[in-house]
Amino acid sequence: MEVAMDPLFLAWSYFRRRKLQQCSDICTKILQDNPYDQAAWSLKTRALTEMVYIDEVEVDQEGIAEMMLDESFIAQVARPGTSLRLPGTSQGGGPSPAVRPMTQSGRPITGFVRPSTQSGRPGTMEQAIKTPRTASTARPVTSASGRFTRLGTASMLTNPDGPFINLSRLNLAKYSQKPNLSRTLFEYIFHHENDVKNVSVALYLQQKELVNITLQDFDCCNKNVLFHQALDLAAQATEHAQFRDWWWKVQLGKCYYRLGLYREAEKQFQSALNHQEVVDTYLYLAKVYQRLDQPVTALNLFKQGLDHFPGEVTLLTGIARIHEEMNNISSATEYYKDVLKQDNTHVEAIACIGSSHFYTDQPEIALRFYRRLLQMGVYNCQLYNNLGLCCFYAQQYDMTLSSFERALALVANDEEQADVWYNIGHVAVGIGELTLAYQCFKLALAFNNDHAEAYNNLAVLELRKGRIEQSKAYLQTAASLCPHMYEPHFNLSILCETIGDLQSSYTAAQKSEDAFPEHVDTQQLLKQLRQHFAVL
Amino acid sequence: MSESGSDGGKWLDAHYDPVAGLYTFSSCVDLADLSGDGESRLVVGDLGCGSYSMKLKVYRGTVLMSESTLLDLPAGLVAFFMDLHEPRIPAVAVASGPCIYVYKNLRPYFKFTLPGLEVNTLEQDVWQQVKEGQIDPLTLKEMLEGIRKKANIPLSVRSTRFLSLETSDMDAFVQLHNQQPIRRQTVITCIGTLKKSTADEDGVSCLVIGTESCDVYVLDPEAFIILSKMLLPAAPITMDVTGQFDVEFRITVACRNGNIYVLRRESDKPKYCIELSSHPVGLVRVGKNVVVGCTDESLQGFTQKGKKLWRIILPAPVITMAAMDLPTRGFQGVLVGLANCEVQLYRDKNLLSTFKTPNVVTSICFGRYGREDGTLIMTTKGGGLMMKILKRTAVFDDRDSAPGPPLAQSVRLNVPKKTKLYVDQTLRERENGLTMHRAFQMDLSRLRLATAKAYVKALESSLTPMSSSLSEPIKMNAVVQGLGPSFKLTLNIQNTAACRPIMNLAISFLYDESLYRMRNPYMRIPLLVPGLIYPVETFVECTSDKGISDIIKVFILHEGQSSPLLTAHINMPVSEGLMLS
Repeated sequence: MEVAMDPLFLAWSYFRRRKLQQCSDICTKILQDNPYDQAAWSLKTRALTEMVYIDEVEVDQEGIAEMMLDESFIAQVARPGTSLRLPGTSQGGGPSPAVRPMTQSGRPITGFVRPSTQSGRPGTMEQAIKTPRTASTARPVTSASGRFTRLGTASMLTNPDGPFINLSRLNLAKYSQKPNLSRTLFEYIFHHENDVKNVSVALYLQQKELVNITLQDFDCCNKNVLFHQALDLAAQATEHAQFRDWWWKVQLGKCYYRLGLYREAEKQFQSALNHQEVVDTYLYLAKVYQRLDQPVTALNLFKQGLDHFPGEVTLLTGIARIHEEMNNISSATEYYKDVLKQDNTHVEAIACIGSSHFYTDQPEIALRFYRRLLQMGVYNCQLYNNLGLCCFYAQQYDMTLSSFERALALVANDEEQADVWYNIGHVAVGIGELTLAYQCFKLALAFNNDHAEAYNNLAVLELRKGRIEQSKAYLQTAASLCPHMYEPHFNLSILCETIGDLQSSYTAAQKSEDAFPEHVDTQQLLKQLRQHFAVL
Repeated sequence: MSESGSDGGKWLDAHYDPVAGLYTFSSCVDLADLSGDGESRLVVGDLGCGSYSMKLKVYRGTVLMSESTLLDLPAGLVAFFMDLHEPRIPAVAVASGPCIYVYKNLRPYFKFTLPGLEVNTLEQDVWQQVKEGQIDPLTLKEMLEGIRKKANIPLSVRSTRFLSLETSDMDAFVQLHNQQPIRRQTVITCIGTLKKSTADEDGVSCLVIGTESCDVYVLDPEAFIILSKMLLPAAPITMDVTGQFDVEFRITVACRNGNIYVLRRESDKPKYCIELSSHPVGLVRVGKNVVVGCTDESLQGFTQKGKKLWRIILPAPVITMAAMDLPTRGFQGVLVGLANCEVQLYRDKNLLSTFKTPNVVTSICFGRYGREDGTLIMTTKGGGLMMKILKRTAVFDDRDSAPGPPLAQSVRLNVPKKTKLYVDQTLRERENGLTMHRAFQMDLSRLRLATAKAYVKALESSLTPMSSSLSEPIKMNAVVQGLGPSFKLTLNIQNTAACRPIMNLAISFLYDESLYRMRNPYMRIPLLVPGLIYPVETFVECTSDKGISDIIKVFILHEGQSSPLLTAHINMPVSEGLMLS
């Protein structure tokens, strides 16, 4: 006779093998039989959480609201080297914009795309809500809505017959007194339901010293009812709150962070660190400092963390990222090298060192790093694209075009395809195949209508053909798509100067100077124009 | 800065009043002993606010001593001796408009008006007819316009003013003015003084006047009659006069056409001409040489006969210039006020000293003020008054202005080292050059084919955001604004043809109707003029609350053709409006 396995054990086994859907199905069955089975309830909660879990440390996307309505920064005009807000302030060490291209939002390109590499603050509201807010570069309105909601919606769609736990009917006070349930419940609410407000209510029950939290924070969440409930229940919870527990403090800090109360979050994280040194807490606290635009404090914190956890990869990576965001590429590369000493399969570190070598004129070394990535099993369009470029610039011509062919075969979306065509176009310009280059840039534009670099290069090719009107139109488009790029302004300036429109040339040259003040050619052009204006 | 430190040792800061309210230029500032007590005063023609509160101001020490209202904007101001009476008190001549107002003992003394210019006889006839009521204002306007086109004598101010009036105002204007005779007058642009017969410090001086009508007049100081009239090819801006009228004189005039002319006693035409490469800003005579500051940020030196001696580049545009003449020490130099808030002192082409000022200096005057010989008086752009006194111990020595090789020459370039890897790769390249080349060429041919295929496909389905057809070259780019659920879609359409407009175009959209709702999914485009960007706007509403986004395709169509001219794909952002609420 077949002996059936204990369903709860089976579910637990599924959970450990990360077959979460099966795990949740079995738990549902158990709960149908016995709605008060706490173990099954807890396991199901965890399974549902794991389905949509994202690492809170890694996800950091500043929304429009946080960026434009930010009041937490200290200095409007920060000194160079103390702020993340000015993408252009380099303190040496990095290649100039003439060598290292920018992203669509005006930060120097890094080797590895993270949420924060897309940032670079828009100057005005207009700029913030304008495209390129296409799917690839869109900013969410707030970090609390955007990506979290988008990820959270997955669970909303899969549960057509209502949510698993009806939060509004939950007696949070009761659960808060059961430590074995309260943590899983918290994570469920936090990650699965994305309901920070409820979670914080749950937390107030845990933390007796926080009952007198400011009222208006809750008003803004439109959860007055819950808050009053919370207040009533808090009194009961205080009796049970024996909490000197760092875990709950960290969770409270996370909630504050999501609600945008950075100073409170900082307090919680610091107090958690006093109880127990945990790497995660350091990372969360550093995140808070980065959001408060205090990169130097964040760096110090990381170094302090490294004293307790020497050689910790995440901390080292954090330091490297901050250096990179402050445009200090050479020290970022140093730290990435430290990362590689600890973990020689760290993809981000390899990619960033590779790109840094590529842009400092050593493509043959960059090639090495990218090949290492290939050996590690990274197999995507971007990598082949980079390999192709490295091969071309390191004069290994036999491998160049085949890499691009593979990249084209591996493209996942139109943006990638546009980038590959753009790079092929670059190679074509390099070998003097202008017709091929022309076709490639046009293809790049066909796949990505906002590719400003392709517009710029196409304009130069059109100018060589003598089609001035077209060329001018393309340059104007490129300039309007990416106002932080200096190339279209400079090219437009040269074009206008050759056709004798000195006034337009001068204004364009001034814009180019704003985008890249150290550009020598722009300076010379401006000087020449000024002389021209002065001469009779 | 070491330079400012050394110059702090040369000048004493005597007085600085940032709110003195003096708005003036170098031509309207002079120093003179107005009361005959041996103490020099500062006389300033203040331009006020440009249209009112023009004043003649006199400073003694640091205080404003007297102030009298001027009727019009001053163009120039000079102090000069007009007679031989004792005590020797100079008069002040203020040039404004067509008149010269002479003040003696700071009281109005005499007004001299320039002779009128020749008036067009036709114009005179027409106005005469108006006066007699023979023609109405509209006919008058037509006739005057005819005269303006044909005649070589320009119209009078009254006629040009009349022509600029609205039809309704004409009658009143004619009624008001038709009784007076027509006059045509010129205005004074610059003024200078010329000693009459002796070179003494307190000898009687003639006034030299440059006018807008390109004339230079020399006036007798006692009778105020015109002693001499000379004609220039262009309107003068600034002038320098030296010599005596009865013996020999030389008038150096910088003109608005960028030339400098030198007039002499014998002829009424310029004797020498210096052609500059850009417009002159200031002109100063030092000894026998002329120093000119130009708009191309240069300072140039010429001999009296117009031979170019030197040219140096200044760090900023010139705002004003003045001579610094210190006869007790035999020092002559040029003070140049620059737009970067610096004042520089040059002797020939050598920079002697530089000092910073708190604001841009608009006028400079150096000379005897009070009982101090070497006083430098400056006014700033914001109306400030600044006085500095040259220290008696100050020594100006020429520094060698020709430095050695530029600094950049010794900076080492950061050229990356050739790595061992690179050397290995070049070895491989050398050994397998042939195979590598073949592989590359083969790949290239394949890639060309692949690109051409993709390109043709893109062209056939008009995927590109610019049209490639020769008859309708259009370019489009799309901008999405908004947070959702309502988005604004702006399509910027531009006709890139050289000169041909495009007509009969329409826009249509293709989208998932379960996700989006569009206010007007079909729009007609107006006539597209080449070169201009036409923004076409529409509103899109996202009807889904699931946080999903999709692509909206935009087609530009030509009427009567089914295939689109061009296509653009808009990746819509996720709608967040519903989630926030």
